[in-house]
Amino acid sequence: MVEPEHPSTDTEHESLHEEAHLPPPTLWPIGFAIGIVVVLVGLVINPELISSIGGAITVVFGFLWARDATAELRGEPIVVEPERRQMREAGHGMTAPPADQQGVALPHVPETGVTRSRFLEGATLGLGGVIGGLITVPVAGFAVLPGFLGQKQHKVDLGPVSKFPLSQWFVTTFIVDPIEGEVSRRTAFIRNNGTVSDPKTKKQVPSFTIISNHCAHLGCPVQANGPTGAILGQPTVIEHTKNGRVKLDPVVPAGYGCPCHGGQYDIEGNRTAGPPVRALDRYAFEIDNGNLILLSTYSVSHVVGTGAQAKIYKYKEAGPGEHLDGPEQWFYPLQPPHH
Amino acid sequence: MATTYRRTPTKAELRRQRMEELVNYPLDWLEERSGLVGGVRYFLFRNVPSDVNWMQTLGSAALTAFLVQAITGVILAMYYTPSASTDPATGKPVAWESIVNITDHVTMGWLVRGMHKWGASVFIILMFLHMGRVFLFGAYKYPRELNWIVGVLILVMGMMEGFTGYLLPWDQTAYWASVVGINLNGTAPFLGPWLAQFLRGGQEIGGETLTRFYSLHMLVIPAAIIGLITLHLYLVIRLGVTSPPWSKEAAGMEPEEEEPVTARPGLTRPVPRTAGGTAMQAEPGGRD
Amino acid sequence: MAAIPKEKPSRIDEARAQFARYKADVKARGKPFYPYAMFHDTIMSLVVVCVIIGLAAMWKWSAWGPGHDPTHKGLLGPEVDPPADPGTTSFVPRPDWYFYFLFYLLRIFKWPESVFLGTIGVPTIALILLIGLPFLDRRRERRLSARPVAMVAAVLTVLSMAVLTWKGATANEALASEVIADVPHWVQVENLPSNALPGAKLFATAGCTACHTYAGAGGSNLGAPDLTDIGTRNLGIDFQIRHLQCPSCVNPGSPMPHFASLGNERLHQLAVFLEASKGAH
Repeated sequence: MVEPEHPSTDTEHESLHEEAHLPPPTLWPIGFAIGIVVVLVGLVINPELISSIGGAITVVFGFLWARDATAELRGEPIVVEPERRQMREAGHGMTAPPADQQGVALPHVPETGVTRSRFLEGATLGLGGVIGGLITVPVAGFAVLPGFLGQKQHKVDLGPVSKFPLSQWFVTTFIVDPIEGEVSRRTAFIRNNGTVSDPKTKKQVPSFTIISNHCAHLGCPVQANGPTGAILGQPTVIEHTKNGRVKLDPVVPAGYGCPCHGGQYDIEGNRTAGPPVRALDRYAFEIDNGNLILLSTYSVSHVVGTGAQAKIYKYKEAGPGEHLDGPEQWFYPLQPPHH
Repeated sequence: MATTYRRTPTKAELRRQRMEELVNYPLDWLEERSGLVGGVRYFLFRNVPSDVNWMQTLGSAALTAFLVQAITGVILAMYYTPSASTDPATGKPVAWESIVNITDHVTMGWLVRGMHKWGASVFIILMFLHMGRVFLFGAYKYPRELNWIVGVLILVMGMMEGFTGYLLPWDQTAYWASVVGINLNGTAPFLGPWLAQFLRGGQEIGGETLTRFYSLHMLVIPAAIIGLITLHLYLVIRLGVTSPPWSKEAAGMEPEEEEPVTARPGLTRPVPRTAGGTAMQAEPGGRD
Repeated sequence: MAAIPKEKPSRIDEARAQFARYKADVKARGKPFYPYAMFHDTIMSLVVVCVIIGLAAMWKWSAWGPGHDPTHKGLLGPEVDPPADPGTTSFVPRPDWYFYFLFYLLRIFKWPESVFLGTIGVPTIALILLIGLPFLDRRRERRLSARPVAMVAAVLTVLSMAVLTWKGATANEALASEVIADVPHWVQVENLPSNALPGAKLFATAGCTACHTYAGAGGSNLGAPDLTDIGTRNLGIDFQIRHLQCPSCVNPGSPMPHFASLGNERLHQLAVFLEASKGAH
C-alpha cells in the first residue's frame, strides 16, 4: 500500500533539516488508509459487518484529515506563495524559464515549515499513489495470483491393471480432467514391471514405469522410437474409465525422440543426445481397486537401472529446460507452487 | 491563421492561401477551439530534406500494415470465440471452430482473416526493412537515439503480437509453438518459472492461457504499440528526416570551409524551439 | 562552456552544430512533406495493402481443398491446422516463419549445459545490442564507406539471420512417423532382398535415423555415421546384434544408446537389414 505521507512522529524535528518536506505531520491519513484496507478485507471476508466498520473508519479519519489539512486555509488568510525551488540554469540541457520571469527575484521563503504549494504537491502525489495502489493491487493480484493458487490435483483412472501385460510398453493417451476436456489430454509411455518388494513393508507391490511425453528441453511432444501397434500387428486398446476414453497403443520402443530440437532419450527416459537438460518427467501412481491411477508428475534428473529395479533420482516437478542438478540448478532456486 | 512570409509568396503559395480562405467554416471553428488544424497543417507542410528517397517510405508502409492489422483485428474480434473448451456437438475446440467458421462460412471472413494473418508477416518484414534503412542511413545517431530505442520496442511488441496471436486459432501449430514459446521464457534464470506460469495462467496451457493471450493480443500490446508509434511519429516530426548519407546535397552536411561552430551562441541547445503546441505553429507556411 | 577552446570543439557540440545546420538546411532547401514525400509514402502503402490482399487471396483460394477441408495445404499453407491436441503422439511442431531463426538457434545449442544460451542468452544479448546501438556507435559519420565496422556487422547479421531462418525452415526430423514412408525407396535404391524388409521398417521406426543418415533420410545433427553402405564392411550378423545390444561393449566409448529392449528377434531383423545395405545405386 502506498502511504501518502511519512507516518513518523519525528517529522517535526526532521523537518528542520530536510530540504524537501511534506505537510504538517498528521496521523489521520494513516487511519484513512487503514479504513480503506478494512473495507477491502471486509469485501472478501464479511461485506456487511467489516466493510461498514471500515467505511466508518474511512469517513471519520477522512473528515479529520480534511479538517486538519484545511486548518491553515480556514484559520489564516490565503497567501499564494510561488514555487520555492530555484529554476535550474539554462545550458544544462533544461528548457530555459520564460523570459518574462527570468529577472523576477524569488521571494524569500523561510527554511523551516511547509509552504502551501509543497503541501499540495505532497498531497497530490500521495493521494495519486493511493489511487494507483487501490487500482493496481486488486487488478495485479487478480491477473497474477489465480495462476499460482488453488492448483487442483487430479487422479487419472487408466482402467484395470490387467490391461497392461507384463513388460509391454503402451503409448497411453488419456484425459486428465473430464471437465476441462480435450485441453487436458496427455500422453504417457507406460510399462508394467510386475511386482517388487517394498523395502519398508517387505510386501510385494506392483511396479509401473510411467513416463510423460513432454520433452525435458522445451516441452514438445516426444515420440516413441520403435514400431507401434500398426506395424507390430497388435491391436490398439480403447477403454472407458471415469476419466473418459483411454487409448493404449502397444509399442516396442528403443527410446524416445523429440520432434522439435532433436533431443533423444533411452527407454527409461534418460537423455542420450541433444539438448534436454534432464530425463523425462514421470507420473506418480497408485493402484486403487485393481485400477491403475495416475497422480501428479515429478521431475527426474536421471535413472540408473531399468524396470522395477530402476533407481530414480526424483525431484519436485520443474518446468522443461530447468536443470535439477549440477551448477545450473542454482538458476532456478524457487519453483512456483505445484499440486 | 495568420501566415507570414519572409519573401514574396510564389503562385502556388498564393493559390494555397486562397484555398485556405475558402476552407470551410467548420475547420476554422475547430482550429479556434482546439488548434488541431494547425497541428495537422504543420505535420503536412513541414519541410523534409529535398533528397529523401524511396527507402524512406518503409516506415509509413509499416504504419499502414499496422493499421490494416488494427482494423481487421477489431472486426475479427466480433466473430472469434476465445474458448478452448470442446464443442459437445462436434468434439472440436470452440476457438478452432470459430476460426474455421470465419474462414469458410462468414461472408468475406476469409478475406479479413487472410489480411490479418498475412498482414502480420508483412508488418514484421516492413519493420525489419525500416530498421535496416535507419541503420544504413546512420539515422539512429544524435539526436535520434531515443527514436531508435522506441523503434526497437515497437519491433519487440510487434513480435509479441505475433507470438500471442499465433495461439488464437487453437490448432496444432498454434498450441505447440506456444508451449515452446512459454517454456523458453520459463528457462530464464530465477524468475523464469514464475513468468511461464503467469503466462499460462496455471500449470498447464489451457483455456486460461487462451483467454489471457487473447486479452494481451487485442488490448494490452496494441495499446502499447499505439502509444509507442505516437511517440515515434512525434519524434520523427520534431527531429526531422535524415538525408541519405550518400546524397551530394544532404541536409546538415559539413560545410566546405571550417566554421567556428561552437562559438556561435544558441547552438549548444539541441533543439532551438520548445516542444508541443508552439512548435506546431512555428512554420505553418510550407516552403519559405 | 566558454572554457572549451575553439580549435577542439567537443563531440556533443559538433553534433549539436551539425543538427542546427541540418535544421537550417531543411528550412532553406527542403520541400514540404505534403505532397512531395507523402506521395511516395502513399504509393508504397498502396503496394503494401495490395500485397496483403493478394497474399490473403492466394492463401484462401489455393487452400480451398477437396470437400472444403480447412486443413488442406495450399500454396501458402492450410487455412488452419487440425485442432490442438495436447496429447499428440505424431505432431511435429514448427513456429511461424519469423521465429525460425530462434527455433534453429535452439537446435544449435544441443548440449544441456548450453540450453539457456539459446533460449534466453543469445536473444537477450542481441536485444541489448540492438537497443544500445546508438550508444555503441557515437560517431557522427553517416557515410557507408566510412563505417566499415557497422557495415560488416550489418552484413553478418543479415547473413546469419537469413541462414538461421533458412535452416529453420528446412529443418526436418527423422521421426518414425515420417521416415517409414521412405522404406519403399530404400528397397529400390539399395536393392534390398525381401528378408531385409522387416528390418528396414524397424530401422525406420526405431529412431535410428534420429542420429544416423541412410540413403538421404535421417538427421545428421547429432553426428553419427552414415549407414547407407554399412553392409559393405561385412561386420557379420552376430556382430551387428551384439553391437545393437550394447554398443559401448563392442565399441568402447560409443555414445549410441542400447537397443536390447527391442528383443533378439527384432535385433536379428535389424542386423539382416544392415548387412544387406550395400550402398545406394
